[in-house]
Amino acid sequence: MKTASKIYTAIIFVFLFAPIAVLLVFSFNEGKSLSVFTGFSLKWYRELLRDTDTLQALKNTIILAFSATAISTVMGTAAAVGINRLRSRWYKAAMNTVTNIPMTNPDIITGISLMLMFVFVGRLFGASTSLNFWTMLIAHVTFCLPYVILQVLPKLQQMDKSLPEAAMDLGCTPLKAFLKVELPEIMPGIVTGAIMAFTLSLDDFVISYFTAGNGFTTLPIRIYGMTKKTVTPKMYALATIIFFVTLTLLLLNNVVDNDGVKKEKKETGKVKRVAMIVLAVIIALIGSVGIFAGRKETVTLNVYNWGEYISDGSEGTFDTIREFEKWYEETYGVKMVVNYDTYTSNEDMYNKISSGAVSYDVIIPSDYMIARMADEGMLEELDFDNIPNYSNIDENFRGLYYDKDNRYSVPYAYGIIGIIYNANVVDETDTGGWDLMWNEKYSGDILQFNNSRDTFGTAMYKLGLDVNSTDKEVWETARAELLTQRPLCYGQVMDEIFNLMESGEASIGAYYAGDYFTMADNQAGDVDLQFYYPERTNFYIDAMCIPKGSQNKELAEIFINYMLSEEPAIANAEYTYYASPNRIVYENETYLEDMGEDVIEVLYPEIENFSELYNTYAYRNLDTDMLDYINTLWETVKIN
Amino acid sequence: MKKIIELKNISKAFDGETVLDNISLDIYDNEFVTLLGPSGCGKTTTLRLIGGFEYPDEGDVVFMGERINDTPPHKRNVNTVFQKYALFPHLNVFENVAFPLHERKLPKAEIKEKVDQMLSLVMLSGFAQRSVTSLSGGQQQRVAIARALINHPKVLLLDEPLGALDLKLRKDMQQELKKIQKSTGITFIFVTHDQEEAMSMSDTVVVMSEGKIQQIGTPQDIYNEPVNAFVADFIGESNIVDGVMLEDKKVKFAGHIFDCLDTGFEKNEAVDVVIRPEDVDIVPEDKGMLCGTVTSVTFMGVHYEIIVDIKGFKWMIQTTDGVEVDAKIGIYLEPDAIHIMKKSKYSGMFGDYSSFSNELDELSNPGGEDEE
Amino acid sequence: MRKKHSGRLAITQYSVWSFLFVVVPLIFIAYYAFTDNNFSFTTENITRFFTATSNLTEDDGTVREVRTYILIFMRSLKLAAISTAISLLLGYPIAYIMARASEKAQKTMMTLVMIPMWMNFLIRTYAWMTILQDTGIINGIIGKLGIGPLHMIGTETAVVIGMVYDYFPYMILPLYSIMAKMDTRLFEAARDLGCNSFGVLRRVIFPLSLPGVISGVTMVLIPSISTFYISQKLGNGKFFLIGDAIEGQYVANNLHFAAAIAFILMVILLVCMALVKYFTAKHVYGGE
Repeated sequence: MKTASKIYTAIIFVFLFAPIAVLLVFSFNEGKSLSVFTGFSLKWYRELLRDTDTLQALKNTIILAFSATAISTVMGTAAAVGINRLRSRWYKAAMNTVTNIPMTNPDIITGISLMLMFVFVGRLFGASTSLNFWTMLIAHVTFCLPYVILQVLPKLQQMDKSLPEAAMDLGCTPLKAFLKVELPEIMPGIVTGAIMAFTLSLDDFVISYFTAGNGFTTLPIRIYGMTKKTVTPKMYALATIIFFVTLTLLLLNNVVDNDGVKKEKKETGKVKRVAMIVLAVIIALIGSVGIFAGRKETVTLNVYNWGEYISDGSEGTFDTIREFEKWYEETYGVKMVVNYDTYTSNEDMYNKISSGAVSYDVIIPSDYMIARMADEGMLEELDFDNIPNYSNIDENFRGLYYDKDNRYSVPYAYGIIGIIYNANVVDETDTGGWDLMWNEKYSGDILQFNNSRDTFGTAMYKLGLDVNSTDKEVWETARAELLTQRPLCYGQVMDEIFNLMESGEASIGAYYAGDYFTMADNQAGDVDLQFYYPERTNFYIDAMCIPKGSQNKELAEIFINYMLSEEPAIANAEYTYYASPNRIVYENETYLEDMGEDVIEVLYPEIENFSELYNTYAYRNLDTDMLDYINTLWETVKIN
Repeated sequence: MKKIIELKNISKAFDGETVLDNISLDIYDNEFVTLLGPSGCGKTTTLRLIGGFEYPDEGDVVFMGERINDTPPHKRNVNTVFQKYALFPHLNVFENVAFPLHERKLPKAEIKEKVDQMLSLVMLSGFAQRSVTSLSGGQQQRVAIARALINHPKVLLLDEPLGALDLKLRKDMQQELKKIQKSTGITFIFVTHDQEEAMSMSDTVVVMSEGKIQQIGTPQDIYNEPVNAFVADFIGESNIVDGVMLEDKKVKFAGHIFDCLDTGFEKNEAVDVVIRPEDVDIVPEDKGMLCGTVTSVTFMGVHYEIIVDIKGFKWMIQTTDGVEVDAKIGIYLEPDAIHIMKKSKYSGMFGDYSSFSNELDELSNPGGEDEE
Repeated sequence: MRKKHSGRLAITQYSVWSFLFVVVPLIFIAYYAFTDNNFSFTTENITRFFTATSNLTEDDGTVREVRTYILIFMRSLKLAAISTAISLLLGYPIAYIMARASEKAQKTMMTLVMIPMWMNFLIRTYAWMTILQDTGIINGIIGKLGIGPLHMIGTETAVVIGMVYDYFPYMILPLYSIMAKMDTRLFEAARDLGCNSFGVLRRVIFPLSLPGVISGVTMVLIPSISTFYISQKLGNGKFFLIGDAIEGQYVANNLHFAAAIAFILMVILLVCMALVKYFTAKHVYGGE
């Protein structure tokens, strides 16, 4: 029996720590892949220390967790004392119910409900942004509170009621009696509650996702924002560091504990020590992060971009944001700071901005979203006097459907969706068109997009349908086509495609041309990734815009202009692997050399009537009813 | 009488600390045995060995001639009334008592009949559907007894069952337990640190200290013929004086030679002399065998408890005669008031009332409330 | 009466907070659920949840009409229920072992259970992808033994593993804390009264641990029913769950319908919880 339970315990802990072991190992991976281990290297740790944005996010996460813990512990303890003293039965029952709600409500509901309220209240008071650090803090305190209360309340109930009375009898004021007698008694509960609150706050993603606001990106938001590109082992390195810091402190605590202190003394001593250790962890983490990420705020520019969509200084690249800050200070003699946040989709960005939850100076939406936002009057007209570098933008990228009069947007990057396949699995003869994604030979090896427009796009291009049709029949046809593909699919993915293709897990998938090269760079030994454009396919352009409500339009224009200048433009094109509409870039010798002829050929295919093709195949904005219809239709595909 | 349980040379240690040191004990059918001793003396461990909750490191537990060292509790025909009762809080009174019957999968009707019968035995007939947490201490006690008896065990183990009750209730329960034992004919093994309780209920008292059995006997034997200073002091009040056995029936202590009834000692052997406070007669100073000064007088209701300083040794004497503090008195001892004991390791540790107070006495003999 | 005064302050601050940030937001969910884009009253969102239909192609190729969101909800419930049951079965023994271990071992094990939660949920889920995929670690190991490959990512198994893993601590914590508080003499009493080890478990430990079982089940079932990240990553987007539907509607800027789904989910869960509470309160000791 004894050995059986030991074996069982071991199995459970292996289960609990298997993923930790995996991320520990892969944090030392030389390559970028999270599934193919190519060699030992400390590269990602160096990367991590250089990545000020991630460190800033870590710092924010810890500040948030620490503040939420402190506030919820104090409030929760007070609340528990209050609840314990309540005489009224219904009041007590009401309080118990209210305490249970955040625990028994799915966090997606807690998150959405808080977001709806904050946004509503923000609008009511005409605030430029309704979501910020404070709303996130409120959300975290709210879901941490019940855990503190549920740890403290039983301790209060167990406590001898005459203890505080004895203390008062001996001359203590009620407050002193609480501090000197009750508090030490319930301390173990408070400490456990605080640790739980801290843990929950660190672990939370969903509620943070819905209540995150301007300029306060936490780690989970940043990680989720990497969805368009790929999560790198850098994040594993970060997790590994957190793991070892935690483990070391806990081991230290255990060693100190075993020093053979007398048992009675130990109890109270232990509580204090645990509290000290928790404090030490927090201070150590904040301190170490602060060294790397500490900065002072002055003039600020708020930029909202796709995750992993700018050269950020990793792996020795150009750190666009820091360089811009430096350049600005040198040029204008004023200290300026960029708040750089990321989003996961056009719709995500649109929601946050249209609801007034956040406010930004520069955003980089895709074409159809620009059309929509311009239609809805959400974009500022640009003052091109402040953006002289606009002259470098290729004629092909002017006057396109989404911004016919070139009023709102400056193209940042463009791309064409193509099909990536593993040549070691797929026959050359089967390639060339969209048919490959419907080829039964490769059943179980095909990846489909995990968003409605792109998914329908594959079927519509295949069938030669209009991707912007408002005829529901057309969409139904596409749906039927998708249903025939369902059984062949490995899955519906976005950024997961990187790992799946690199490791050979899946063999066929449609994705953006630039990303194909990232995958090819990281492919496993037995994988040979190739790429082609099918006959009809999606063109997209992402362009820089200034949303209404920008606090500093001129600064935003200066930033846009800077992004078009040689160094940042080339760096970003090289970093993202997407094609640039900027002449300075695609005519630059070094850029062409760096990228290599093969890459350039794929990224910049020679297209004669670019704007015509673009205007035919690019996604356009559809009205909300149509979008709702498509989304619902897509759901009916997904349930199959 | 038939031996029902035999403990043979049992030793037990927890974390290297010896709790039972080579004890042997026979328990007979239909007997009320009390294990008596201060906390930490090993009495509860002895009980748990019989119940099957502990296994001996050395020695054997024999039940009706069969060695049961490794038999788990549920296979022993022995039941326990636990300290603080250990009633199942998720079950009501009826379900608690019926618990063992359900385990035996008896038919419903039979269970009901047996439980009702048992509840009426412990006088809880109207309480079947009550939650056990709503009962008073005494009622919980009865449920615990009913539950333990329902299987008609050969032996019932009771671990300080009356410790949590107030004095009046305790006295009633003592009577009742005795009555139940008589009527059921089950052997009771009762653990307590309360010597009065042990005296009033038991057929046999087993006095334990420091993991060893000090004395086994009837309450009268234990009281009148304690084997050493520990037993003499633990059972009732005793003045224990150093003495020398001059010859059979002649003992010298406190500078005086007394007649006594004890024989079988070496000539001039050093001994402990026990004199019970109630056996001392007070006489005028000039007629006394020994003389002393009264240092304190306490009125106890039926008698006075006085402390007398006799040549620097404080004696306790219980008397119905009123005396004053500072009075010079004499004392007189009949031969049968004197009990001689061999010297033991407890000699000199007990029996001097120089720092006596009731409260201190309690403190030095703390109730074994949470005894392991 | 300063004590009374401070006591009132302690409860008032919490009442106010709870009202503002727990109760009012729920009212907002309801408000959005029952309004359209122009904030005029409508029940359309609610009816849509119950009536929207679509064609479902079965494995054998037959097509039948199903109620879209009901189907999504039932599928979520099924996966969540499986995950919860597994968590309970795995967590119950470990919680018991922990509760009976030495004080030091309890502390260590408790910390070990909590540590994985300090690495964020997203990273942990990502790590499972590396373990489970066809070219992943498990298949690497069993491949060496000549078995496999086992296809796990994109299957129910992977989603369930992810749910069990991510919410496991929420199962262990309440079970452990209730078991650690249990009076061991009750187990002895049960053995004394004729129970073998299994009998003690069935008749004493389990009924006494019911409140812990309920809160553990609640704390695993609820997040697993509403998760949208695990199904996306480990299910390869093949499992479209109720959380995905809510998030999908949110991303599609269909806030009112997202709120309606959330509202319905919330009502269903609250009713279930209330029922469970009602039926167990009768049986379980220590209820209010």
